[in-house]
Amino acid sequence: MAQGLVLLLLGGAVLRISAFSTTYLNYVKPGFRPFLIAAGAVVFALGVITLVQEWRKPHVPEAERARRAEHAGHAGHPDLHADPHTDGRPGEHAGHGHDHARGPRVAWLMCLPVFAIFLIAPPALGSYAAAREDASPPPPRPEVVEGYAPLVGDKPIAMPIGEFVGRAWGDPKRSLTGKQVRLTGFVVRSKKKDTWYVARMQLNCCAADAIALKVAVRGAPAPPENTWVEVTGVWIPPRSSKLPNGTVPPEMTAINVAKVPRPAEPYE
Amino acid sequence: MSDRAMLDWPADADDSPVPPSSWGRKAPTAPVLPWVFVALVGVLIVGRYLIAPFITSPALQTWSTIFVAICVQALPFLVFGVLLSAAITAFVPASFWTRALPRRPYAAVPVAGAAGAVLPGCECASVPVASGLMARGVTPAAALAFLLASPAINPVVLVSTAVAFPGRPEMVLARFAASLVVAVLAGWLWLRFGRAEWLRVPRRTGERGWRAFHEAAQHDLLHAGGFLVVGGLAAATLNVVVPRSWLTAVADVPWLSVLVLALLAVVLSICSEADAFVAASLTSFSPTAKLAFLVVGPMVDLKLIALQAGTFGRSFAARFVPLTFVLAVLASALTGWMLL
Repeated sequence: MAQGLVLLLLGGAVLRISAFSTTYLNYVKPGFRPFLIAAGAVVFALGVITLVQEWRKPHVPEAERARRAEHAGHAGHPDLHADPHTDGRPGEHAGHGHDHARGPRVAWLMCLPVFAIFLIAPPALGSYAAAREDASPPPPRPEVVEGYAPLVGDKPIAMPIGEFVGRAWGDPKRSLTGKQVRLTGFVVRSKKKDTWYVARMQLNCCAADAIALKVAVRGAPAPPENTWVEVTGVWIPPRSSKLPNGTVPPEMTAINVAKVPRPAEPYE
Repeated sequence: MSDRAMLDWPADADDSPVPPSSWGRKAPTAPVLPWVFVALVGVLIVGRYLIAPFITSPALQTWSTIFVAICVQALPFLVFGVLLSAAITAFVPASFWTRALPRRPYAAVPVAGAAGAVLPGCECASVPVASGLMARGVTPAAALAFLLASPAINPVVLVSTAVAFPGRPEMVLARFAASLVVAVLAGWLWLRFGRAEWLRVPRRTGERGWRAFHEAAQHDLLHAGGFLVVGGLAAATLNVVVPRSWLTAVADVPWLSVLVLALLAVVLSICSEADAFVAASLTSFSPTAKLAFLVVGPMVDLKLIALQAGTFGRSFAARFVPLTFVLAVLASALTGWMLL
C-alpha cells in the first residue's frame, strides 16, 4: 500500500516537472525531457499497478505476504538480509526479516526529492553558485572558433555568453574587436568596486556539473544581484597576453543595461 | 497471489503477531493511508504557493537544486536499469547465462567485463542489472566486473569523452583500457579472496512472466531509489560545502593531484556520461589526474556507494568500495604514465 503511494508521488512529481511544465529545465538539459517523461510514467504506472493489486485482495494481510516473500526469497541467508536501517540493532531484526510486502523503509526517502520539488521549488542555479564556482570552461578548440558566424553590421549582435568567452579567449583574428554585442545573463557581484559580472551557468548533463561562464562588465552601475539583464557593450581586449586564457574572465564596457524577464531555459 | 500465500504458510510461525493480523478482514492500515496520502498531496500543492516563496536562502536553494538535479537526472537511468534487470529476472532463462559465459569463473570475469561495453547507461543502471545477473545465477565476480566496466566503457560514454577531449584520442583509449583493467582485476580479486557471506545476493522466486517482472521491478525501484536519494543528499551537500578553490592549490603536486581528483570524482557523483566535460574543465590539472577522475567516477562515487550498500549489503560495500578505489587510482596512474 504505502510503497504504491510512494511510487505514485515520485512518478507524479517527475511528470509534473517534465510533462506539464518546463521546471525540469532548472535541473537538466532540455534533451532529457522524453526520458524524464518516460521514467515518470513508468514509476507512476508501477505505483498504480501496486495499488490495484492491493485493492483487489484487501483481505490478504501484509504480514502474510511478507512472510511469503521472505521465505521464497531469502531462505538461505537468515542473518544477512536485514533491512539496512535495522543493522546494528540485532534485537529488532532477529527472526523478523526484511519485509518485502511493505517495501524497504529506505524507500520512504524517495519522498524527499518530491518534498523539495514542491516545498522548496528549487530555482535554477544563480549568483550564489556562480560566485563560488572557480572552475572555468576550457578555452575553445579551433574548430569551434572557426565555426562562429562572422560578425557583420553595426547593430548590436546578440550572442550566448559562452560564444563571447570563446571568441575572447580563443579567436586569433580577434573578431570581437570594436563590435557591439548583446549578452543575456544574471548579475553576479565582483570583489572589485567598479566591476560586476554578467553570468550564465553551462550544463553538460545536470545542475551538479554546472560551470559558470562569466563576463566582467565595466562602466555601468551594478544592478541588484541575481537580476536577469541584457547587457549591450564592447569587448575590452586584455592589456597583457601573459595571463593564460581561462584565469580571468573577459571584460566588456557596457553601453546599455536593461532588465529582462528570466528566460525559460536558464542554462547555456 | 492469495492462494499461494496460503500454500506457503511457513511451519515456523513462532514470530507471528498474536493474534495474526490475518484474523481481521482488512489490514489495519488500509483505511488510513489513502487519507494520509490525500492530505500529503494537499500539503504539497498548498505548500508550493504558501511555503516555497518564503524559502529564499541562496545556500539552501543551491543545495536543493543540486540535490533535485542529481535525483531527477539519475532517475531515467535507474528506471532503465531496473526494467532491464527485471526483464533479465523474469524472461531470460538461467540456462542462457551458463551458455553465454565461459564455464570457468576466472574466464567469465573478463568476458563479463567486456560485455559491459554494450549497456548504454550510467552507473545507476548497472547496479540493478548486476544484481539481476547474480539473481539469475551468474558468478558474482563476473557480475561485479560487469558492474564496474559497463558505466565506463560503453559507446555513449566513450563518444562523450572523445567530444570533451578533442584531438586527444589517447584519452579515450586510456579511459577504456584503465577501466577495463580495474574491472577485471577487481572481479578476479573478489573471486580469489571474496567470501560468499559478505555479499547479499538477491534471491528471486522461481516465478517467471509478467508478475515476476512487476515484483522485481517494484522491489528494485523502491530499494535502489531510496539509496539513490541517500547518495544525492551526500553529493549535493559536499558539492555546496567544499569550495572548488581548494583544488587549484594542489594541482601542481603530481601524486597529490591524482589523489585529489579521484576523491573529487567520488564526492561529485557526476553521471559517467557527463563527467568527461567536467574533467576537461579542470584545466590546471595534469592529464593523468583527469584520467583518474574519469576512471574512479563511474566505479566509486557517493550515490554508487549508497546504491551498492543497499543492493548488496553493507559488509560488501565496506570491502568492495575501497578495493575498487585503490585499484582505480593505481591503474589510472600507471595508464597515464604509459599513454598520456
